[in-house]
Amino acid sequence: MSTTNPVPTTSRRSSAPRSARAARLVANVLTYGFLLAGAVLMVAPFVFSVMTSLKTSRQFNTSSPLATPEPATVENYVSLFGERYDFVVPIAVTAQVVLVLVLGQMLTSILAAYAFAQLDFPGRDAIFWVYVSTLMIPAVVTIIPLYSMMTELGLKNSFAGLVVPFMFGSPYAIFLLRENFRSTPSDVLDAARIDGAGVLRRLWQIMVPMNKPILATLLLITVVSQWNNFMWPLVIAPRPEWHVITVATAALQTQYNGNWTLVMAATTIALAPLVILFLVFQKQITSSLGVTGVR
Amino acid sequence: MNGRQRIEARAGYLLLIPSFIGVGVFLLLPVVIVVVLSLTRYNLISPPEWFGLQNYAYILGWDRFRNSLLVTAAFTAITIPVSIAIGLLLAVAINRRLPGTSWLRVLYVLPWVCAPLALGVVWRWILDPTNGALNALLGRRIEWLADVDLALPAVAFVQIWSTVGYISLFFLAGLQQIPVSVYEAAELDGAGAARTLWSITLPLLRPTMFFVTVTSIISSFQVFDSIYAMTGGGPRFSTDVIASRIYDEAFVALRLGRAAAMAVVLFVVLVAITLVQQRYFRRRITYDMS
Repeated sequence: MSTTNPVPTTSRRSSAPRSARAARLVANVLTYGFLLAGAVLMVAPFVFSVMTSLKTSRQFNTSSPLATPEPATVENYVSLFGERYDFVVPIAVTAQVVLVLVLGQMLTSILAAYAFAQLDFPGRDAIFWVYVSTLMIPAVVTIIPLYSMMTELGLKNSFAGLVVPFMFGSPYAIFLLRENFRSTPSDVLDAARIDGAGVLRRLWQIMVPMNKPILATLLLITVVSQWNNFMWPLVIAPRPEWHVITVATAALQTQYNGNWTLVMAATTIALAPLVILFLVFQKQITSSLGVTGVR
Repeated sequence: MNGRQRIEARAGYLLLIPSFIGVGVFLLLPVVIVVVLSLTRYNLISPPEWFGLQNYAYILGWDRFRNSLLVTAAFTAITIPVSIAIGLLLAVAINRRLPGTSWLRVLYVLPWVCAPLALGVVWRWILDPTNGALNALLGRRIEWLADVDLALPAVAFVQIWSTVGYISLFFLAGLQQIPVSVYEAAELDGAGAARTLWSITLPLLRPTMFFVTVTSIISSFQVFDSIYAMTGGGPRFSTDVIASRIYDEAFVALRLGRAAAMAVVLFVVLVAITLVQQRYFRRRITYDMS
């Protein structure tokens, strides 16, 4: 973009004034500097924590925290999976919780978003308004009543206690999907309806395929938020056999306070699956958030 | 209403049933229950006993609760403007599409996909006064998380660090939706870069700004995990955000009635903020993209 351009002609780019070109160069240098500094600041904590997890306590205590591990050791990881602290359990519990919640939330949210976006029924907008208004309800407000509900039902320290309150859709997912489903061209859906396609067929054969990018994004966001969930599992499933990975990490930090090499091994295990998942599927999340349909 | 419309209407209600369990039973009903619990004295062991408005009377005069409201407000006031400003800058910078920069945005979003609890633990080590990475880098001994004046800025910094990349994605998405023709028209009219940003980009990003601000406030008022990991609300309650206070009262001190009253107050404050904000934004977004 040129900043000074008094004559709007089509050949202006080649004949841009020198000052404009200099300004663009400065802007480019600043942009690179800003983006690179940001990248370093973002990545450094991860790099240093992984490095620490690969040190022995002796190495860690006798050299700078920033020094590279020499030699690198996996002894912290071994002891996490050994007799000292069984990290297999929280990984297994977390994986099952994530699976159930992702399936439940995706399915119910797709159904609801489709109803709100494409079907006509009395009270639709009022119900949608109620759904959206529940976005304002903080988790910390519902945690006490949910805790007493689940405890009354005898679901404390159980798998059901971990998943039941959150497997029936999320207002956020419904809101996001409805916005996308609304912008799906209605002529395609109308044509399918004229051809005799029922409500569900239009959903599975047109709506879902046409909205794959946002569904992929939503899937990713749901996996991420459920894997990372902490407060609810901390409250409802405090027993070690039902520890999810975040609760197990917190417990480990309390138990081995100051033993940073071991604790950083735990955080690496808690973080690595999502970091890998994200690096593999980053295109879906970075490119799909903006895709809200053809306008 | 003809036959087809009736079928569609029925289908609409049927499709809403599963999510209505989620919204009705596990979101709206708990709000009712929390209000009821806030009027009782309840310690999980004996059944709740009626307590009237005494919980409210108590907490409104309680320093520790007022402190938590202030800490939460300060935390929000620091984190949201800064992360929106940096997020917007990041988006504008990435959107210039300079060669070799497109993969960088992956790194900015990285903290956002990570468990705040685990990141909090990582930052607790980084900010550790004796063995932490930051003090090793600075060559000084600063008690980042144990100093009453530094702890809140420190946890706010970590929050900003972990959310800017995510926020920038929304701005980037918003930027990419602005038709190139709008910019071409502005250029033809002789608008400079600053003028274009101020008069075209920012107004057209207002829906994004609204979305980001609302969701950021909501999440900022609920911040818990990273603070639980880093300071546990200390030192001397200087990072005792409202969620930490509610958690402590409910699940450590087992005063669920009092904790429920605090949750209700938080909820009212949050709804008020959202309504005011909505009003403000509605008055100002009056264009239509289509």
